[in-house]
Amino acid sequence: MVVNSINFLLFFAVVFIVYYLPVSRNNPKFQNLWVFLTSYFFYGLADWKMIPLLLGSTAVFYLLGWWLKKEMNNNHASTASRITTLGVVIGVGILAYFKYLDFFAEQIASLLNGIGLHITWTTLNIVLPVGVSFFTFKLISYIIEIHREHIEPCRDFISFNAYIAFFPTILSGPIDRPYKFLPQLEKVRAFDYSTAVKACYLILWGLIMKMGIADNLATGVDRLVINVGQYSALDLILGFVLYPIQLYADFAGYSNMAIGVGALLGFNVTPNFNYPFFARNVADFWRRWHISLTTWITDYVFTPLNIAFMNLQKWGVIFAVVINLVVIGFWHGANWTYGFFGLYHGLLFIPLVFSGAFSKKKKLKAGKFGLIPIKDLSMMLFTYILVAIGHTIFRAPDVSTAFNYLGSMFNFSSLTSISDGWGMIIYAVVPLILLIMKEFVEIYHPKFRVMELRYKAVKYIWILFLFTLWFVTQNQDSSKFIYFNF
Amino acid sequence: MERKEIFAVLNAIFEDVLDLEGGVDLTDETSANDIEEWDSLSHIQLVYAIQKKFGIKFSSLEIMKWKNVGDLVNSLEEKLK
Repeated sequence: MVVNSINFLLFFAVVFIVYYLPVSRNNPKFQNLWVFLTSYFFYGLADWKMIPLLLGSTAVFYLLGWWLKKEMNNNHASTASRITTLGVVIGVGILAYFKYLDFFAEQIASLLNGIGLHITWTTLNIVLPVGVSFFTFKLISYIIEIHREHIEPCRDFISFNAYIAFFPTILSGPIDRPYKFLPQLEKVRAFDYSTAVKACYLILWGLIMKMGIADNLATGVDRLVINVGQYSALDLILGFVLYPIQLYADFAGYSNMAIGVGALLGFNVTPNFNYPFFARNVADFWRRWHISLTTWITDYVFTPLNIAFMNLQKWGVIFAVVINLVVIGFWHGANWTYGFFGLYHGLLFIPLVFSGAFSKKKKLKAGKFGLIPIKDLSMMLFTYILVAIGHTIFRAPDVSTAFNYLGSMFNFSSLTSISDGWGMIIYAVVPLILLIMKEFVEIYHPKFRVMELRYKAVKYIWILFLFTLWFVTQNQDSSKFIYFNF
Repeated sequence: MERKEIFAVLNAIFEDVLDLEGGVDLTDETSANDIEEWDSLSHIQLVYAIQKKFGIKFSSLEIMKWKNVGDLVNSLEEKLK
């Protein structure tokens, strides 16, 4: 059941009504129980066979959390470390089995075949459980944060389940951290009208981004990596330029909807994006893109590595950064393209670490005439090109197709021809221009945001306009969310 | 070493490593959220400088447990005993 469907609307209406009924309105335990039940119902519709996995792993980590705390209280530091390691191993093990076992085994088999040992590996055809990349990360985070003394174990199994299985975010994130989410489950979530309005606005924009921009761009862009040779350089360049926007609109659109739905239930879900295409270098980009994932991997992979490599100074940082980004890459799936994608970005960090630009975070400020300063704009465009190269590798079915694609953009003889099939992207133009303007205003001139203006009439007209825009531009063949695959 | 003296030394280290032109006045509650220049990279540079200055070494877990400067100073005091 995708978020942008009638079925979901009906489902959510029921969830919402019962959640704010007089009997549940002042009772967080009842609200949590309802979230737990409806989340499992939601997950069951997506993948009922995996309910034992979800419930079972949640129960295991719940118990591990209490066992860990007991050992920590008794000052058994090495036992505590071992329990934490066990938790990490179980979590990563679940992911490794479902996500990487076939890939890993195939690589070993082809390696052995390469040196003459004839091995056949019949692919187990292991089906990836829905949301496994997201809920295992929540579980691993939980056990590590107890060990780092940043949280106490959760007192209530129902609430813990509500956190892990939380239906707005279980399928594709954002990945909420326990120290931000669990405290919210302890309090009553009372209905607040202004929060609800902001949430609906966010959901509306999410729908426009996903169905108006991403799905329309996809009709022209997606086919290009399937058969590169069929397309002209102009086709490929257009796809190259548009894909990062498509991916952003798809994923940020989904994230906005998930955050909005969470907000309607009174939850503050962690953000996933912070205007990524206004990044002035690659390090800045990664602070703005898929934030819940990159901060997770930064906290649990980069930081320990960085500490371990402390004595290697800047080279230590570079090793940690490269490993960090390769992990981020491979998190997306079992394909060399993802590893390459990560490695590519990791290497781009090297000059930034040496120059010190890695950490400088100068605020974005408007220049002449209230516009983006030329220097910033050129850095943003350059960063965009670097990101687009990485995204070409990311979306290609294999590495050779990726390089074939990038190389074929320079077939200057075919720069003047273009294929049919770009027609639908016309629908994406107006929503995209509006999106860019909206983000520009939010960063550089926040006082002029439509929703901040005093005139109610303007706000209503704007919302009506956006609703109409969504209705007119939405692609009817709404494809699956890209990040359901991860 | 007195806690006040430790804070004075830390102020100097923070100002140097983070390039804080206006100086800084650390308290027990100060955390990375309060200082813009203090992120995951500069954090390690700070720890490195602090270890070097005081001639001590923290374990990874200790470093990852700290939530604010107060926690850091507590660990430091333990090590200096």
